[in-house]
Amino acid sequence: MIRALGIPLLRQIGLICAIVIAVFLLIRVVPGDVVDVMATEGDMTEAEIVELRAELGLDRPVPEQLVLWIRRMAQGDLGMSLRFERPVAQMIEYAIPTTLALAAKSLAIGLILGIGIASAATIWPRGPAAWLVDFVNLWSIAIPTFCVGLAAILIFAIGLGWMKVLGNGFVPALVIGIDIAGQIVKPLHEELKEASAAPYVRAAKARGESPARIVLAHLLPNAAPIAIALSGLILAGLIGGTLTMEVLFGLPGLGTLALQAIQGRDYPVIQAAILLFAVSIVVVNAATDLLQRLLDPRLRR
Amino acid sequence: MQASFAAAKPASKATAFRAEIAAYAILGAVALLALLGPTLSGLDPMTQSVGGSHAGPGAAHWLGQDHLGRDIFTRLAVGARLTMTVALASTATAILFGAVLGLLAVVAGRWAEWPVFGAFDLVRAMPSILLAMTLLVALGPGVPSVTLAIGIAFAPTFAYVARAAWMRETSAGYVAAANVMGSPPLTTLVRHIAPNILGAIVTQAAIVIPRAITTESVLSFFGIGVSPGTPTWGRMIADAVKYVERAPLAALVPVLALSMVTLAFALLGDRLRLRWDPLRKGIAS
Repeated sequence: MIRALGIPLLRQIGLICAIVIAVFLLIRVVPGDVVDVMATEGDMTEAEIVELRAELGLDRPVPEQLVLWIRRMAQGDLGMSLRFERPVAQMIEYAIPTTLALAAKSLAIGLILGIGIASAATIWPRGPAAWLVDFVNLWSIAIPTFCVGLAAILIFAIGLGWMKVLGNGFVPALVIGIDIAGQIVKPLHEELKEASAAPYVRAAKARGESPARIVLAHLLPNAAPIAIALSGLILAGLIGGTLTMEVLFGLPGLGTLALQAIQGRDYPVIQAAILLFAVSIVVVNAATDLLQRLLDPRLRR
Repeated sequence: MQASFAAAKPASKATAFRAEIAAYAILGAVALLALLGPTLSGLDPMTQSVGGSHAGPGAAHWLGQDHLGRDIFTRLAVGARLTMTVALASTATAILFGAVLGLLAVVAGRWAEWPVFGAFDLVRAMPSILLAMTLLVALGPGVPSVTLAIGIAFAPTFAYVARAAWMRETSAGYVAAANVMGSPPLTTLVRHIAPNILGAIVTQAAIVIPRAITTESVLSFFGIGVSPGTPTWGRMIADAVKYVERAPLAALVPVLALSMVTLAFALLGDRLRLRWDPLRKGIAS
C-alpha cells in the first residue's frame, strides 16, 4: 500500500518542482519586465529604473534569482508583489476564500445535478430525465462557459436590473455547476445503466423493490468509483470555470489575481498562483487515487 | 459498454444521422461565410461610421452595426475566417507536437520516450487556459503566438492518444509480420501503423478544435489573445460587451456563432468516435 501510493506521490512532487522551474524560466525569457511596465505607466528617470531593478533583484543572473526564490519559498516567504508592494502570501490569502467558496458551490451544484439527473434517467428511462442527460451534456460541450456567464450578466444585470443576483456568487456557480454536471452526467448514466444488468439488481427486482430504491440503494453506491474517476474532468471544469467566471463577474479570487499579474508581469504573484493551482491539482489527484483504492477493493493490493 | 445496451432503439439511428447532417450543415455554412462573406456584403470590416453606430439590422447592414458603426455581418465573416484559421492551425500544431513528436519518441525507445512524455505530463498537469495565458506572456499577443500557445497546451492529449493507439497496433499481427520482413522501425511506423491510428487522431482533433476555439475566444476576451485589430469572434465579444445595452446584436451574433460551431464539432467528434470506436455510445444516439 505504501509502495503503491509512494511512487505516484514522488512523481507528482517531481512534477510540481518541474512546473515551478519551468514557469520561473518561461516568464524570464520575456523581453521587458515589470519595471518596464511600471515605467510606461508612470514617469521614471533612467536612474530610478536602474535603482528599482537592483532593489527587486532583477539585475542578477537568472539562476541566482531562482535559487534565491526557492530558498525564500522554503521558509514560507512567497515574496513581495512587484506592483502592489504587498506580500504575495497576503494577496493569495485574501483571494483564496473567494475562489474556494465559488469552487465549493459549483462543485455542489454540479454533483447534485449530475448525479440527480443520471439517477432519475436510470429510474425512469422513458421520462424527461433521459432527455435531460443528453441536453445537459450537449450544453456543456457546445456552449463555452464564458458565453453562458456573459449571457447571464446580460439577462440578469442589464435586462432585468437584478444587480444583486450577480453579487452573491450564485449565478457563476450555477454556470460552472451546469458545465460540470454536463461533463459527468453521460458517463455516470452509462455506468448506472450498465450496472443495472448485474445479478444483484435482478435479485432486488425479484424481491419486489421499486426502481427508485434499486438505483439509490444498490446502484449509486456501486457507481461511486466512477464518480471519483471522473474527478479529473470535474477538476478541469472547476479550474477553468472559476478562472473565467471570476474575471467575468469581477470576483476578487485567484483567477482574477493571476490574470492581473500576468497582464502586469508581476512575477512573484504569477509564480505563486500557478504553484498553488499545480499543488491543488496534485493533491486532488492523489486524494482521488486514495479514495478510489479505499472504495474499490479490487484496486487494493 | 455491454452488448445489451449497444442495441439501439430504431429511432436513435435516425436522430444520430440527423445530428451528423446538422453538424455538416453548420460547418458548411461557416466555411461559406468565411470564404464568401466579405464579398457578399461588399463592405469592409474595419470601415467605421460615426452616424451608424449601434444601428439595428437593415438593408445595407444585415445584422446591424457595432459601437464604431462597423458592419457586424462582415466582421462576423472575417471573424469566422480568423477564428477557424487559429483553431485549425493550433490543432495542427498540437498534432505536430503531440502525435508526431510523441510517436517518434516512442519508436526511438525509452531514452527518448521518458523526457518527451515527461514534458507532456508537465504540460498536462496545468489547466490549459492557465498554461496558454502563461505562454502568451512569454510569446506576446498576436495570431502566431496564440496559435502556438494553444497548440502546446493541447499537444499532450494527442501524444497520449497516439501512444495508446500505437501500443494497440504494435500487438497486431501485421506489425509482427513487417518486423519479420526486416522493415526498419520508422518505415513500419509511417507505412503500416500511422494509417491505422489516423482515425484516433482525427477523432481527437474533432474534440480539440472546439476547445481551441473556446480557449482562443477566452484569451482574446481577456485581452491577452489576438490584438484589437484582429476581429476573431472572441475579440468581437470583448469589444461589444461594453456597449451591449445599446447594440446587443454585436455581442449576441458572435456568441451564437461560437456556440453553433462548437456544437457542430462536438456532434461530429461524437459521430467520429462512434465510427472508430463502435463500443462506445455517443452523445446524440
